[in-house]
Amino acid sequence: MRALYTAASGMAAQETNVQVISNNIANVRTTGYKRQRVHFQDLLYENFRRAGSATSDQNTQAPAGVFIGSGVKTAATGRVMNQGNVSPTEKEYDVAIKGEGFFKVRLPDGRTAYTRDGGFDLDSQGQVVTKEGYLVEPGIIVPQTAKSVSINNQGTVEATVTGQTAPQALGQFQLSRFVNKVGLESIGDNLYVETPGSGPAIDGTANAEGFGGLQQGYLEDANVNAVTEISSLISAQRAYEMNSKVIVAADQMMQATSQILRG
Amino acid sequence: MENALLVGLSRQMALRRELDVIANNMANVSTTGFKARSARFSEFVMPVARDDNFLRPDRRLSYVIDQGTPIDPTSGALERTGNPLDAAVKGEGYFVVQTPGGERYTRSGAFEINSRGELVTQQGHRVAGENGPIVLAPGETGIRMSADGTVSTDQGQRGKLRLVRFANPQAIRSEGDNLFSATAPAQPVGPTGQIEPGALERSNVKPILEMSRLLDVQRTYTTIAGLMSKVDELRRTAISRLADQQG
Repeated sequence: MRALYTAASGMAAQETNVQVISNNIANVRTTGYKRQRVHFQDLLYENFRRAGSATSDQNTQAPAGVFIGSGVKTAATGRVMNQGNVSPTEKEYDVAIKGEGFFKVRLPDGRTAYTRDGGFDLDSQGQVVTKEGYLVEPGIIVPQTAKSVSINNQGTVEATVTGQTAPQALGQFQLSRFVNKVGLESIGDNLYVETPGSGPAIDGTANAEGFGGLQQGYLEDANVNAVTEISSLISAQRAYEMNSKVIVAADQMMQATSQILRG
Repeated sequence: MENALLVGLSRQMALRRELDVIANNMANVSTTGFKARSARFSEFVMPVARDDNFLRPDRRLSYVIDQGTPIDPTSGALERTGNPLDAAVKGEGYFVVQTPGGERYTRSGAFEINSRGELVTQQGHRVAGENGPIVLAPGETGIRMSADGTVSTDQGQRGKLRLVRFANPQAIRSEGDNLFSATAPAQPVGPTGQIEPGALERSNVKPILEMSRLLDVQRTYTTIAGLMSKVDELRRTAISRLADQQG
């Protein structure tokens, strides 16, 4: 009976939906997190009677055919890459990107990853690193004598060093952007890597053409809207329930058939 | 003798078909741009040999046949997503998609940009513009769509989404993947075509309606099963009585 499998595909789809929603809610306080959204598509249709087929010898045609669909599938769980709120932290190595662009991070295995999470720190050698201790390109080293560090909106890092009046330039953060940033692959730890779908990284600097500006002392919040997620969760749960009702109905109809002829 | 059983069976087969349609609607309750289908049945009078000259003329048998599953062309609710690449068609009209199998039509405006900068659907098929596919250069930002379907970036206009309509709303075939194919030539919507940028059209399935139809189908099916059971009992009693008479 087709209805059973159709309804089962509906339940499986809503399960995926709940998984994605719960991941969004779990990351509601994750810096630079971009929420995901599930896209569903209908499955193949079977034509029992084609629309437009002749119904008589007098050129009459069936206006609508009989199309029976076979359920639903998950097409994509794309990220919604719009800007999250930028909130103050008053930490000098916290940097938020306002607009396009990703920070470049050098992974321990030599690959390059990209992140929107600008919550950086210094390691023991004074290098600017992520919370995981991965080097942020281009490897800015802050001298031990530095009193205070300022990062301007173009990503230039300057330090005021003891005994000097003029600030000392230390380097400039590199940013990258992608033609299709939705095509980036998430590898956890707030990091993304390039894929054939995203296209190659386009390097540049903040506030240059096509890139957003940086803001020191701020971090980008997740772009998850708790109210939207909870209402999606409720509708996913109801849709799941209703699909299960279809299974119950199909089952009871089969039961009715099997009980027509009683011993 | 078997007529009651056969008539009942024809109704049950039609009901099963209707259940399949409801199940598909329910499964697609959160599919973007999905259009619900309903099931329509008609009476099928059996063309059997008969003679109307008897005192009680032969009665004609009428069976149930499924005639079609017409699509419900009404718009679904609009859901704001804030995604600059999402678009919903306001009112009548379909987006045009280029697939390897030819032109297809969709109400699902969840578009993406691929690595070559082309505007594509979730399946990676190119979305058709008025003058060919819509392609963005790598350096362009600030993508936005306007209400008339114009796609522009900070470097100017990049094309206009093509919208088409069908004179007969039933002249489309569901192909899966949120796509429809045409059984009659598509016509341009013209200047009245409007899109809603940053929004998606939700499925137009009405869950409450589908649930009540489901109940109706289930109860009718059970009633007919009961009827068939009665017919069976009748025959059984008849056979055993006739057997007793002989004895």
